[in-house]
Amino acid sequence: MKTAFKLDAHPRRPRPLLSEPPAGYFDKLPTQIMARLPQADTRPAVPGWLAWLTPALRTSLASVAVLGGFAASFYMSGTPRLVPATAATASLDAVPRTELVGYLLTSGARVENSDLAVLTAAHPNIAKGFLHASTEELNDVLDAQPAEDLNYL
Amino acid sequence: MEDHEILLKFQNPASRNLAFNQLVRKYQSKVYWHVRKMVIDHDDADDLTQDVFVKVWKHLENFRQDAALFTWIYRIATNECLNFLSSKRRKFLLPLTDVGAELAAKMEADPAVAGDEIELKLQRAILRLPDKQRLVFNLRYYDEMPYEQMAEITGTSVGALKASYHHAVKKVEEYVTRTTDD
Repeated sequence: MKTAFKLDAHPRRPRPLLSEPPAGYFDKLPTQIMARLPQADTRPAVPGWLAWLTPALRTSLASVAVLGGFAASFYMSGTPRLVPATAATASLDAVPRTELVGYLLTSGARVENSDLAVLTAAHPNIAKGFLHASTEELNDVLDAQPAEDLNYL
Repeated sequence: MEDHEILLKFQNPASRNLAFNQLVRKYQSKVYWHVRKMVIDHDDADDLTQDVFVKVWKHLENFRQDAALFTWIYRIATNECLNFLSSKRRKFLLPLTDVGAELAAKMEADPAVAGDEIELKLQRAILRLPDKQRLVFNLRYYDEMPYEQMAEITGTSVGALKASYHHAVKKVEEYVTRTTDD
């Protein structure tokens, strides 16, 4: 009959019988480990005074700064300068009529209602030179027009 | 240097590296042998020991001191070992017994073990235990660690650890008895 092995009767060792690590291993290990450490950036991530604020306050402050930046840039830029329609038509006044007519006949450009609307807005009396009709006649003709074609008057 | 001094110096960026160097020097041997008993091979133990301390460095700032520093380091080392062994098993699709056999082969190749037949059988028997049970066995049998501390490291109840160790001892004794000639 086999003798039963009892662990308590076996001489206890502090560790299994394994070979020791190479000589000087524990002297070199700290250096190897230190070389592998991810070094933190030494520059402070935030200025000193910001570090005293809580993360939530810092986030709020950043939001306020961004919104303030938008508001300031909007205020500084002011309302867009409107170019008077007369400026465009004034420069056209310098062009000889024959040249204008020639351009319109040969370039294939089409005069849209919107172009005429700009023109009449700049020179309200422009039609008086060539449109010889009374106010009543004009109103009758205009009343007969579909509503969408009236925008240039 | 006491643990609380190390932790205090670690909080200061100017003395952080020095404090961590002291920590490594203080615990490197214990961590290395804890890992080595689990993975047997020196090169594997070397890699894992370094990994453990790199993890300690990354997380030491958030260490809440609910447990002793060494218990916390041991827990990291334990998890690294268990992850290493299970990833090895997954990688090579090895069953539990094959990893045990591989570890046993590594151990038998170790010149320190040669010639001691009973010790060799004992080590073979220990290496046949499941990883977690082997861990419990190592902590209790070799390190003679109190069950309460083992519970903190493993996150297992004292009762479960006692039962696990009792079963491990039975398995080891049965294996050595069975494989020993009259």
